[in-house]
Amino acid sequence: MATIQVNGVRREVHAPGDTPLLYVLRNDLELTGPQFGCGLAQCGACSVLIDGKEVRSCITALADVAPNQEITTLEGLPARWAKQKGIPAEEAKTTLHPVQQAWIEEQTPQCGFCQNGMMIKATELLEANPHPSLLQIKEAFTTSGLSPNLCRCGTYGAIIDAVNHAAALMARR
Amino acid sequence: MTIMRARQVNVFGATLSRREFIKAGGVLVVGGSLAGTKALRAAGKPAAMGNSLDASLPNSWIEINPDNTILIRTGKNDFGQGTVYTAYPQIVADELSVPFEAITTVVQGHTDRTPDGSGAFDFLGEGMPNIRKVAAYTYQALVDLASERLGVAKDKLTVKDGVVSGGGKSISYGDLIKDQQLKLTIPVSGSLSGIEGLKVEGNPPMRPVSEYSAIGKSFKNPATTSKVTAKEKWATDVRLPGMLHARVVHPKTLGSTLVSAGQVDKTKFPNAQVVVKGNLVGVAAPTEWEAIQAADQVAGATKWTEWKGLPGNAKLYQHLREESDWKAAAVAKGSTNKGSAETVLASAKKKLSATYQLSYMKHAPIGPTMAVADVKPDGTVHIHTHNQNPQLLRSEIATMLRTTADRVIVHAYAGPGHYGRSNGGNAGAEDEAVILSQALGKPVRVQWTRADDMQWSTQSAAAYSDVQLAIDASGKMAAYQIDHYMPAMQDDRPIGAVLAGLPTMPAPDVQADSVTSTVNGLSDPWVYAPVANVTERGHGTFQVGQKASPIAVGLRDHSMRTPGQFQQNYPRELAISEAAALAGADAIQFRIDHASEERAIGVLKAVREASGWETRPSPRPDATSSGTAPVRGRGVSLMYRSRTYWACVCEISVTPSSGAIVVEKSTIAVDPGIVINPPQLKRQVEGGAVMGVSHALFDEVSFNESGVTTEDWITYPIPTMADIPEIKVVLLNNPKVGTYGGGSEAANALAAPAIAAALHDATGKMIRQLPMKADRVQAALKA
Repeated sequence: MATIQVNGVRREVHAPGDTPLLYVLRNDLELTGPQFGCGLAQCGACSVLIDGKEVRSCITALADVAPNQEITTLEGLPARWAKQKGIPAEEAKTTLHPVQQAWIEEQTPQCGFCQNGMMIKATELLEANPHPSLLQIKEAFTTSGLSPNLCRCGTYGAIIDAVNHAAALMARR
Repeated sequence: MTIMRARQVNVFGATLSRREFIKAGGVLVVGGSLAGTKALRAAGKPAAMGNSLDASLPNSWIEINPDNTILIRTGKNDFGQGTVYTAYPQIVADELSVPFEAITTVVQGHTDRTPDGSGAFDFLGEGMPNIRKVAAYTYQALVDLASERLGVAKDKLTVKDGVVSGGGKSISYGDLIKDQQLKLTIPVSGSLSGIEGLKVEGNPPMRPVSEYSAIGKSFKNPATTSKVTAKEKWATDVRLPGMLHARVVHPKTLGSTLVSAGQVDKTKFPNAQVVVKGNLVGVAAPTEWEAIQAADQVAGATKWTEWKGLPGNAKLYQHLREESDWKAAAVAKGSTNKGSAETVLASAKKKLSATYQLSYMKHAPIGPTMAVADVKPDGTVHIHTHNQNPQLLRSEIATMLRTTADRVIVHAYAGPGHYGRSNGGNAGAEDEAVILSQALGKPVRVQWTRADDMQWSTQSAAAYSDVQLAIDASGKMAAYQIDHYMPAMQDDRPIGAVLAGLPTMPAPDVQADSVTSTVNGLSDPWVYAPVANVTERGHGTFQVGQKASPIAVGLRDHSMRTPGQFQQNYPRELAISEAAALAGADAIQFRIDHASEERAIGVLKAVREASGWETRPSPRPDATSSGTAPVRGRGVSLMYRSRTYWACVCEISVTPSSGAIVVEKSTIAVDPGIVINPPQLKRQVEGGAVMGVSHALFDEVSFNESGVTTEDWITYPIPTMADIPEIKVVLLNNPKVGTYGGGSEAANALAAPAIAAALHDATGKMIRQLPMKADRVQAALKA
């Protein structure tokens, strides 16, 4: 049995230690934000944040996540933002993470399957660099991780728009 | 409930039946009935399978509730186009004269809960999607009812925001149908399980364009919100009680048969089990991780025969030209063929003779295909998946199991776009899940691996075209002749059924249904009407390797975004750019001078202005095909598809010494007639523009003599964010066209001929093969 910290909650998991975190999240904990795209850390669909760093859950073994490390999935982005900004509990219930808000306002996804990883990457980027340049955004989504974050529908331009929009939303709070 | 009264009214060929109830509640249910079923049978067309066509059942098209909220249903399953969540409610809102927000629920895809079938393509079919006509019928029925209720003649009534008014009286739709059970029965033709599904017939009056209110506005897609907030139920999320996870061990080659299936090492994987059916080997276990590991172990212990029956990449075009049987299918002739191109070409002084080649491409969804199947003890089959044509999948599974389609229910969910791969009913894993579930007596979830999806799915067919054209003394195109060669482009046989030796539809053949025929029809409408001598021909043949493969597989093809037309428009538009260069003319002006349709000229002028195009012939005066310094160029393309005109300008830089192309800017002008939802259309066009760059520079299936060697995102690279151009989309709203055209397709097909023309503009060298990968470009520039 392993204990991990996911979206601010301690969870006990009975899966073998070599199980990729992706299957633990999706099958054991029913956190289905991260998606299976390749299982090879080549696309980013499965990304989560571990202590604020974008990680490919498809190649991260459960045993390699320490009990004190904080895993954030797509489901946990609103609470992460609320905690960072000290948003009151009642308001937090209806507050999305600015990245999610921007993704909606810019109508970024098409099929949407890759967008979990795109939003996780955007969150990692904006937490470290609140006002990224176009070049920095492109670097974040292509060379900063284990592989580029891939989208087959071609929403890269809409993602850039949404990252800029999210940066503006975050600056307001 | 007591029926007080029942009567029927004719509404422009539809039938409105009405019952009044004592009990409060009420709903207007709009359903379909097959019109002229006998006539359809006589014509040899299959009658639709009944599941949801009885309009007395609640699973119908439109429901208006007493609180004035409205639910709509469509068999078309959204794949990221957003059309069913935005354009459809907008269309229904305007036909019914209700606010967009009144349409609170959209039900799509599920075979037991939607009425019309068909696929996730051509959502706006001929500008007359079923839901539009249904809404128009419904509107007429509602106004008829209001006329009777208010005692005011129909032509004295007006409707605004779902309230009918006239003669000083008014009543809302909700009040109109309250306490009544109203059933509108409308005429329908076609086949529920056909690729086009059912079609609503008749001609109810339509809302005049001048009265549109919701159409043209920028409503957001509610599915986007549920996906972004992790509330969406994806097909990948479906978990059934007692469900097993499974992986399939696919054959070693595209022609291998099973020698012996490996055994599970029970010491390591105590709960895993192997299922063997013909050449289909599946491994299932209660947990996904055990299934994955056990499948790897079993795969290593499974023995297959060897097979070498494919030409391999290097010999693909030689194989297509010299070894394929192009007499296997009737030659298709262009509908606008005229004059005698052959005669003019024979005596022409200035002419072009060239061959253009396109590689096999993968649909390459970001998530590999998967499905959950639950074959119940009574033989009922439930399939949970992401599919572009659930009704057709349903009939394919029924065929496979030798049962009837009413025993099969397909539940539709969101999933990764796969751009046409399942519009013929299956994407890969659905039938395998059914076979394994039947064998194991439990629900089974089959998840393909990335390699399965690259190597065992269908692909977009490779093709080549031979072009000859002549330029006369005045610099005009005097003759144009093109011969398109492409293997059958749509194989709808479920692969698991093929491997298991279970019944399927026939492989693509001369006699197959039109979409699975070997005939290569002309898909790219000719847009240069003033050219006097035009010959377009399409030549088809069998899929490469399929007949030689002992398991009848080989390189299976399937339509992919802008299918067939992409393969035909690329050679044509690049040849037109070559013709312009041959004539010493500017490539946009040359097209305008050879077009007569005002909308075609309109998009060309719009893209010229928006891109800042400099009018001059290609190549540019300082073009060079050598050196380490990047050189720039630009090219253009034109297309007509789904009642929509498109023009695209691509600006590139290319480094001759490396052959590396960077697409710097892509400008697309689109005239779809009426623009239904500007920002949604813009996003669709942007996505298509990026996929177009992928087709032009990246997409290429690698294969050897045994099978597909492309296996992941390293061996099948697609563009990253760093590879995309600046994209400028010009939407030409053109209400006088009177209807709306498709905008989700076609944008992907524009870039390749424009980028190839830009490469010629920059370097003076023409490369007539896709994709234009750096090593190919480098070699061609050196030559």
